[in-house]
Amino acid sequence: MAAATAQAPVAGTLAPLRATGRRRAAAKLLALAVLAAVLVPLAEAHWPGGAWPGALTVDLSGPLGRASDWIIDNRDSHPLFLYFFGYVSNAIVVGVRAVYLVLLAAGWAGVTAAAGLVAWRLAGLRLALTAAAAFLVCGLLGMWVPTMQTLALMVVAVLASVLVGGLLGLAAGLSERTHRVLRPVLDTMQVLPAFAYLLPVVLVFGIGVPAAVLATVVYAAPPMARLTALGLRDADQGVMEAVASLGATARQRLFTARLPLALGELMLGVNQAIMMALSMAVIASVIGAGGLGDRVYQALASVDVGAALAAGIPIVLLAVVLDRTTGAAGERLGAGRDVPRGPLRGWAGWLLVAVLTVAAALAARLAGRLDWPGSWEVDIAEPVNRAVDWMTGHLYTGVPYVGGTADWAGHFTTWVLDPVRSGLQWLPWWAVLLIVAALSWLIGTWRTALTAVLAMAAIGVLGVWKPSLDTLSQVLAAVAVTLVLGFAAGVAAARSTRLERWFRPVLDVLQTMPQFVYLIPVVALFGVGRAPAVAAAVVYALPAVVRITTQGVRTVDAAALEAARSLGATGGQQLRQVQLPLARPALLLAVNQGVVLVLAVVIIGGLVGGGALGYDVVFGLAQGDLATGLVAGAAIVCLGLMLDRVTQPTERRAGKGA
Amino acid sequence: MSVPSAPESFGPSPAERPPIHGGRAPHDPAPPVFAVDGLWKVFGPKSHQVPADPGLAALAPAELRARTGCTAAVREVSFSVRKGEVFVVMGLSGSGKSTLVRCLTRLVEPTAGAIAIDGENVRAMDRARLRELRRHRAAMVFQHFGLLPHRSVLDNVAYGLEIQGVPRSRRRARAAEVVAKVGLDGMEQRRPGQLSGGQQQRVGLARALAVDPEVLLFDEPFSALDPLIRRDMQEEVVRLHREEGRTMVFITHDLSEALRLGDRIALMRDGRIVQLGTPEEIVGSPADDYVRDFVRDVPREQVLTVRSAMRPPDADETGRGPSVAPGATVSEAIEAVARTGFPVRVMEDGRCLGVVDHERLLEVIAGNGHPAHTRREVA
Repeated sequence: MAAATAQAPVAGTLAPLRATGRRRAAAKLLALAVLAAVLVPLAEAHWPGGAWPGALTVDLSGPLGRASDWIIDNRDSHPLFLYFFGYVSNAIVVGVRAVYLVLLAAGWAGVTAAAGLVAWRLAGLRLALTAAAAFLVCGLLGMWVPTMQTLALMVVAVLASVLVGGLLGLAAGLSERTHRVLRPVLDTMQVLPAFAYLLPVVLVFGIGVPAAVLATVVYAAPPMARLTALGLRDADQGVMEAVASLGATARQRLFTARLPLALGELMLGVNQAIMMALSMAVIASVIGAGGLGDRVYQALASVDVGAALAAGIPIVLLAVVLDRTTGAAGERLGAGRDVPRGPLRGWAGWLLVAVLTVAAALAARLAGRLDWPGSWEVDIAEPVNRAVDWMTGHLYTGVPYVGGTADWAGHFTTWVLDPVRSGLQWLPWWAVLLIVAALSWLIGTWRTALTAVLAMAAIGVLGVWKPSLDTLSQVLAAVAVTLVLGFAAGVAAARSTRLERWFRPVLDVLQTMPQFVYLIPVVALFGVGRAPAVAAAVVYALPAVVRITTQGVRTVDAAALEAARSLGATGGQQLRQVQLPLARPALLLAVNQGVVLVLAVVIIGGLVGGGALGYDVVFGLAQGDLATGLVAGAAIVCLGLMLDRVTQPTERRAGKGA
Repeated sequence: MSVPSAPESFGPSPAERPPIHGGRAPHDPAPPVFAVDGLWKVFGPKSHQVPADPGLAALAPAELRARTGCTAAVREVSFSVRKGEVFVVMGLSGSGKSTLVRCLTRLVEPTAGAIAIDGENVRAMDRARLRELRRHRAAMVFQHFGLLPHRSVLDNVAYGLEIQGVPRSRRRARAAEVVAKVGLDGMEQRRPGQLSGGQQQRVGLARALAVDPEVLLFDEPFSALDPLIRRDMQEEVVRLHREEGRTMVFITHDLSEALRLGDRIALMRDGRIVQLGTPEEIVGSPADDYVRDFVRDVPREQVLTVRSAMRPPDADETGRGPSVAPGATVSEAIEAVARTGFPVRVMEDGRCLGVVDHERLLEVIAGNGHPAHTRREVA
């Protein structure tokens, strides 16, 4: 129904469609107004006042606290823990420990050699050199041991995610019913901020490596499941029919055709799982993951930017190397091309990789250099901190004409964040619900609107209305800035090939970096507070918005554009009258993605003084007050759900039958 | 409708056809490979009710959709495919021909009717028996090739044998043989993505041939190819058929292709067969206006034979003038008449069946002759 308005295939049909769209929008608004006219006076009479009425909240801290106490008391005695969670937890600890020991036994030489050779085998010589260099830099920065800790945790978490996600995806890919059940769950999990996953696992497993690994798996498995299902379901129907026509059994169809055809998607799923896992493994330092994330976390806690950077660089390097290597491998498999010629082909290639790795490890061991030599370490923390101090002294404030970075942050807080926040909190609660309903209904369907309103109401019921609106104000401000910058840059890049060529590598790197890392530079520039959190969110969400916008404007139907040009439209007219209207679905998607990404980082901003819900989660974890943290976590889930549904373009639902 | 650019190759002349085509003679039918009777395929909710209800079954497609929400792709189709013949099903897109060919091996499950292969009921087959049918008795070539992109040409060709459980070395040897037969020597190790469309379809053809099926089913195999390559592939099929005499069911929307390849043609419209006959019968005596419209642009002299154009000889005509076989095309007769100036004698076993003079020939070209009628006169 409403999908027709958004798809508008030909420029000529846009006008009538827009007219019907406008009529439909008016009808929706009218219906809402009628509803409001009935309900609002009732609500106002019962619960006067602007904030969420106290009578409508349910205090969960009591029961949640009791539940958490019960779990802590029974963790060592209840059969559920002894015979299920206990085993899970032990298996994870043993697994991570085993991988860690193997990595240590291989030594820096073995690991570096393995990384280089595997990258060579999968993606060619250039990436091999990059991979080896990246590991050497990790050692140089004095981060060898934390890097190995993170890597060990990642290996276990990624294996588990790929296994779990792959199996779920297989089920969803082969069974329509499973797909219908799983899809909305996976869709929703995809949009939730990483922080929301931390507390439930902590509740069950306590702070430590098992909780960190499980949170990572829960976060990283959905993309694997989604892409596996997508790959299996999208198998070329013609090929599947040909295979069936030759008399293949169901099992033969799966193993000789459907799975091989989906190989590209599967590898993309692995790639996504790895990137999500890295992102989460770093964030999970908050619940005891250790490793690089912990170093960043500790350093940020004491505003030691130098130390944070020393741990942050290895994270970025790991991210880039893992992403490029698995991405290249996936591309090659997906295209169905042969392995590049070279000494590392086929199974013999893998054998050679193993042999060379062992040789490198043994060589280092015999030379007595198994551990990274301390004398090879370069301390960058101090010079960086000196630079930051200089910046603090010279750039923070009082720079003539432009002002300082801290001034900017202060102004942004005073002139943007504070008014938005007080505005939101001044709005009567029912007005907030009405706005949510109107927006989500106009963009989506009544179903998305209902979900959004219920999610928002649930926040009120949970009793965290005020901090949630605080978070929301930061999200709104960050999204506004992101969209202004992102659309401008995206449209510019779409219209200039040269600009796009410059953007591309930058966007590639920015998009692979874990969320956590973005906090380091903003703390260096703006100190702590809400403004830096918003800045980090903007920087994190910007690449995706720019990319989607560019692609959307670029892939506008060339025939329509040519027609406009042949009629003598100017560049501006082409943009306004053809490209932007036809790119509307992409722009809406950019908004949706921007909102989801911004929320994720605004929440993490609780670590650098962003306050609000993110801070509640951190506070709950730090103080062992799980009830507060869990309520905040639930509110984050609701907020994420609400924001996603409000901005959800109808198209995502339209493909249901496919 | 495409008009043939090189008229002389419009349908192989009967002399070129293998002897197995004796099946065309009505008094000597070979046993049918496929026998289809009253076949229905209806898509939509409660589809099985449509064939059973004569009221619904008689509805026009648009009306049926409005009344029941169903689409009848194949409506009460009956025909039989004789051993060794090329049976062409022709129709425009949406006429149900692709659905029909898929029903033969139950890639699409028929709604009603009977299908038999060599007398065995296909619709009653269980899963294992059906698999057996698909593995050994009927292999299909698809419009969009349906090749496995991650396998080499050789492994694609060997795929049918692989799923039958044929050992690796044997299936590779067989595949190499077939790859050579379709003219792809030297490309065994390429991936489908590295081949042109025509080459990919040769792989598809080889894959079907590799399992040595009793029947080859073609679903618009050359529609996605360029005209020149399409011509090549058609010749390839003619050659293969001449060499092996394998039964073929060939789906196409291209009239010239149908006339060139088909021993018999079933012309479909809206799920029904509107006419079934030899190319000559279709062109020479269209069953209705639809078919007449369809074949209007066909150069008739290249399809019709002198047998259908001749008249009884006068007494003085039996002894002189050029002679041709009864299966020769009218255009061959024109050439002979033009060369000698005498009417052409149609000779069979040293006997003069009739003569064709310039009047008769002009009638054929003008399209106002009644060849079927004429033939009855002669007989």
